[in-house]
This record gives sequence, structure tokens and C-alpha cells, in this order.
Amino acid sequence: MPEVRIIAKNFMDMVASMPAMKLDKLYENGFICEAILRSLPPLAKKYVLQLLHIDVPVAAKLLEEWVLPDGFSKHRVAIDRLVQLRVFVEAADRKNEKTYKVTPTFQRSLQKLLVHGGTLPREPMPSNITVRLPTLEDLEAWALEQWECFLLQLISSSQVEKPSNISSSLMKVFQRRLLSQRDRDAPKLTESGFQFLLMNTNAQLWYIIREYISNSEERGVDAADLISFMLEISFHVIGEAYNINTLTDFQRSIIKDLADLGLVKLQQGRKESWFIPTKLATNLSVSLADSSSRKEGFVVVETNFRVYAYSTSKLHCEILRLFSRVEYQLPNLIVGAITKESLYNAFDNGITADQIISFLQQNAHPRVAERAPSVPENVTDQIRLWESDLNRVEMTESYYYDEFPSRDIFEGACDCAREWNGLLWEDSKKMHMVVKAEVHPYVRDYLRRQK
Amino acid sequence: MPSAPSKLYSDDVSLLVVTLDTNPFFWSTFSVPFSDFLSQVLAFLNSILLLSQLNQLVVIATGCNSCGYVYDSASSKNHVSPTASMPALYSNLLHNLEQFVARDQKLSKPDHDTRGIVPASLLSGSLSMSLCYIQRAFRSGSMHPQPRILCLQGSADGPEQYVAIMNAIFSAQRSTVPIDSCYIGSNNSAFLQQASYITGGIYYKPPQLDGLFQYLSTVFATDLHSRAFLRLPKSVGVDFRASCFCHKQTIDMGYVCSVCLSIFCERHDKCSTCGSVFGQAQKDVTSANSKKRKA
Repeated sequence: MPEVRIIAKNFMDMVASMPAMKLDKLYENGFICEAILRSLPPLAKKYVLQLLHIDVPVAAKLLEEWVLPDGFSKHRVAIDRLVQLRVFVEAADRKNEKTYKVTPTFQRSLQKLLVHGGTLPREPMPSNITVRLPTLEDLEAWALEQWECFLLQLISSSQVEKPSNISSSLMKVFQRRLLSQRDRDAPKLTESGFQFLLMNTNAQLWYIIREYISNSEERGVDAADLISFMLEISFHVIGEAYNINTLTDFQRSIIKDLADLGLVKLQQGRKESWFIPTKLATNLSVSLADSSSRKEGFVVVETNFRVYAYSTSKLHCEILRLFSRVEYQLPNLIVGAITKESLYNAFDNGITADQIISFLQQNAHPRVAERAPSVPENVTDQIRLWESDLNRVEMTESYYYDEFPSRDIFEGACDCAREWNGLLWEDSKKMHMVVKAEVHPYVRDYLRRQK
Repeated sequence: MPSAPSKLYSDDVSLLVVTLDTNPFFWSTFSVPFSDFLSQVLAFLNSILLLSQLNQLVVIATGCNSCGYVYDSASSKNHVSPTASMPALYSNLLHNLEQFVARDQKLSKPDHDTRGIVPASLLSGSLSMSLCYIQRAFRSGSMHPQPRILCLQGSADGPEQYVAIMNAIFSAQRSTVPIDSCYIGSNNSAFLQQASYITGGIYYKPPQLDGLFQYLSTVFATDLHSRAFLRLPKSVGVDFRASCFCHKQTIDMGYVCSVCLSIFCERHDKCSTCGSVFGQAQKDVTSANSKKRKA
């Protein structure tokens, strides 16, 4: 049995959880095979390459002989992953020993890709038709702006000046686990909502795409088609224009949603219209661990609890507002203060001190990021102290007894509760006592026996 | 068992510099045609790029008069051919390779006597070029993939390149760049054995050439990260013999300059490399001693 847990961290986990029939269909597409191959752990990649041209099943023992004793756990992880994704088919030979073989569909597609190369279903459009294509920098800036605009709309729909075209029902789907709405109050961010805001762009994008795909069945769209189309998009060249007429109707309806998320930019020429993939789209097939995509930080926290955020983004302002009091805003600077009230507000919303501190540390401005600690210690300590202040009162379910008929019975009941280690409080003058809830049955039995 | 840490997935990014032996004198006498060899190598190169989108591939052709870059996956100048039957890698590489071979042929000296002897390929030149490329990669951006060099060599060693090759090997060792070598010629190559041994790379001589792709993908496609967990071919024996600086011959015993460690096959009065004057020979000293004893 595969030992690796399925946590849908990226596309591949979603692919892994698909039924075998659908997987076989997916593997007919060479690009999906390529994306799958790239997502594998290094050892697994190597095994695939090694067995790619071998048509007979290979004994598991033979595979194990390739590995040094040190690497055995890595070997198991690799094999499990391959079996999980159905890249390898497990079988037993005549002597009842385990054998592995590359799935024929996968094998054929990858062999073809290796020898003949892959051709995308569509060619970039010639430059004489496409005019005023954006430069790569403009495209990236546009994509990020679009993405932030989407995020802002996601967390507080009232703030957006130019709302995107994403249908409100789809927006609701995205908000489902991020926002909680009580009756008529404005929707509030949940704990996972705050965590979502703390993630890097790739992780956020993946979360949204995952919701988008898992919701697709409800909209009558086949998840396999959706996944294969998105993976296909991720292999297009950034900044090139592709004719929209090459898409099927189904794909055309999806590409509009993708454009709203900033994955592709749609442009209209005189006769034709085309889409231009952005960096966000090509990142889809990249595994999330890629640290090269980390953004530069922007927050400076001073020892006097002031927060300076060098950012023009409204989204950043919203995030800061979650746990600090924003005092004033300059064109490229947000100045706020971390106060007891602002933090209590955050704690009320289920945000923890550790989350706030890790956000401040992860987004530290390059100037302070070099320092250790990037956030002053007195600030982090105080944030933690204020959090523990809230937890000063401990709640214990308990029972309250009074009106004892005599002092003897009262003292006997006290002793009984003490024996069970459940006496919380007693007042011998007025003959009152409080016991823990779990001790209550014993004390009750004792009192009954006294009658 | 916990799932594989996510860091695993980005450790195997590699920058592979391949030197490709294009020596026409070797290939005209070899049992396998160059085209067959090349088609297997091309599939291997393509599979390297397939493994990770961050992998980088550079191919350097080693001719017998010159060396040249024939492919660089990072360069944007690759002209994309419109043929759909062939990946862009293949058409670019083949196009550049043809140009290179023609250029290399023009450089050959017409008066060069080639009868009997097969001229060696300029391995030292292509090694130096690969190291230069890797140095440039090191010094440009902050993030660089793990580099390694793979020598696909067929023609025999050229002893006259000994010093240059050894220098290249030591500089590779210094910058911790392993040199892998796949030698397809008839005898083992002492230079490549030493190169792989000193730099911690793999030396392998495939016993059968019709399954070259399988050997390449099994042994040489392994990234540096995975090498720690796999059983890979170990060197059986390394030919450590050196070449002398005076006649460029491979020798078993010889004379070494005590100042600069230059190697000579016969005795000299003065080191031709560093100019230090050697003292009295051993023979004179012993005779002087015996004279003393007599007296």
C-alpha cells in the first residue's frame, strides 16, 4: 500500500486522487506526462527514465539493488509516489514477487515526447497580426495586479473599485472556507482565511484553483478536462499570443475565468482575439516548494510598536488592518501601530499571535530582514503576552452545592470531593462548595447515602 | 512514514555541460556511425531537459582543430524551426553542429600528415570552455543549479594536451564540479579516468553501443543529489600515468622537478618550465663518496 499521504498541495496530488480510467485518459497527453514527471521526487524521475524503454515488468528486488542502504527510505517514497500516480503498475510475477512496469499509456506518450518532441495544439500567432503585445515586465505587473485585485475582492468585496467579472456564485465558492458570515454582519475572515492571506502567491493560486476544480463537477464540467487544459496552458510560452479560435467552447468559457485571476491576458485585435499566458499560468505545473518565487518583503517594525509598510497595495493595507491600527497612508507607505486593542480584535477573530509574528517576519523589508531578529524582540514578546492575557481565565465545568442540612454532611461531602481530587472551592462558614463536573456523580451518591 | 519533505523537489536541478566528440578521423574508423550515436545522445539530452523545467543544458562540440558551443538551453537565440516532427532542441543542435563541423574542417592544415595516426580531439579546449561557462553561471545570479560536466569521448588521448587537461581537472576539482565521462573508444582513456576520479564524477565505458541511451539515462542522467542514494558504477582501476613535458609521452617512471613538479622522461640540467638549475646528479655524489672512502 502506498505510504505517502495525499495532501492536495499541488496539481499532482489532485491527479493522484483521480480514478484509474480518467488517469489513463489524461496520460494520452504528452504534456501531462511531462508535468507529472517533473513533479516527481528525483529518484522517481530517474526510475521512470530508466524503465522508459523496458517493456517487460521489472522485479521490485532488482530496483532495490540500485539503491544504497542510506537511500532506502527515499526509494520507498519514490516508488509509492509512482504507484500512487499510476505511473508504475504493480503486479506479481509467477514466483509471486512484486514487479513494476511503466503504465503503457504513459510510456507511449513520454517516448513520443522524447523522440518527436511535443507540439502544442496551437502555435503562437505571427507578430504582424498581434499588435501592441505587452512586454514581459508589463505582463507580470498586470498579472500581479489582477491577482491582488481578485484577493481584495475575495476578502472585502466592498472595497474594490473595478470589480472583476467573476460571477458572484463562483466568488462565494472561493469564499466558502475563508470567510464566515453571521446573519447581517459583514463577513469576517476565518482562521484559515487569515492563513490564506499569509501564504505566498503560488500557494494562494493553488488554493483557488483547487477550489475551482473541485467545484467544477457542480457546474457540470469534467474535472479531468479542466486539469488537462490547465496543465496545457502552463506549457505555453509566456508573453506569446495564442489565437482564441483554437480553443473549444468549453475551454473558452474557462479562459475568461482564468483571465480574471490574472493567469492569462485577453486581447482583442481588429479581427482576431488572442490570449497571452502570464507567469502565474506557467507556475501552475511547478511544484510549490520552489523558493525562487518568493517576493521581497515590505514591513518594518520598530521597537516602539510602529509598523511601516512600504507598499502601494490595498491588499497589504487590509492585511495590516487585521491586527494593527493604520494611522496614515502615504502614496507608497502605510504607517500603523500595533496596539493592545488592535491585537485583541485580531485574537477575537481567531488569529493567533504566532501567525501575526510569522507574517511580520516573513514579509520583513530587506533592510531589516538581514538583522536577527527581523522583528524586535520586545514587540514579539508583547504580542505573545497580550495573547496569554486573554487566556488568563481558565474555564472548568463544575457544580455548586449549598444548603447542607448539617456541618457533618458538609464536611463529609468536602472530604469525598477531596478524595476524588475534585474540590475546587469551599466556604465552611456558609457551607458552600464547588466541585468539578466529573466528580459530581460521586458527591451526589455520597449525599444520597447520607439521607 | 512521513511524506517526502518538499525541499526534495528542488534539489535536483542541474546544469549539465556536455562535450561531444566530433573528431571525423575517429568516427570514420569507428564501428558505429556518428548518426546512430547522435540520435541516442539527442534523446538523452532531451530527457535531461524533460526532467525539470529549471534544468539547463549546454553542448560543446570537440573537434580536432577547434571547439564550439553548439547548444545552450538558456540562450534565447535558438532559432525555432517550423518543422513539427522534431523538437526545437534537435533542429537547433543539428543546425549548429553542421556549421561547426564545416568550420572545423576548414581549419585543418592541408599539409598535416594523417596517414596512420588518428589526430586527438581537443578535449582540453572543450573542458576549459565548459569550466568557463560554469564559472559565468556561478557569478551571474544568486541562484544557480548544480553544475556537472559530461564528456562523451571516443577518440584516444592526445598526450600533448596532458598539462592543459590536468589544469582543467584541478580547476574543476577546486570549484567542485564533477566531470563524468562516457568513453566509447576501444581502450580506456587515462585522461578521463583521472578526470572523473579526481573530481568525484563517474567514468563508464559502455560495453554495448546499441543501447547507449539506456546507459546514458541510467548512469549519467542521475543528478548530484540522488547520487548519494544510488549504486553507480565505480572505477575499477585508474591509469594514473603521467605524460612527460618534453616529448609528451606517457611514462611509468621519470624525473620530477623539485621546484615546480614538471615531469621529464630523461635527465635535464635545467627545468624547461621554471628554469631552476638542477644540482649534481646522484652518480657524481656517490662517486665522490667512494673517492672519499678510498682516500
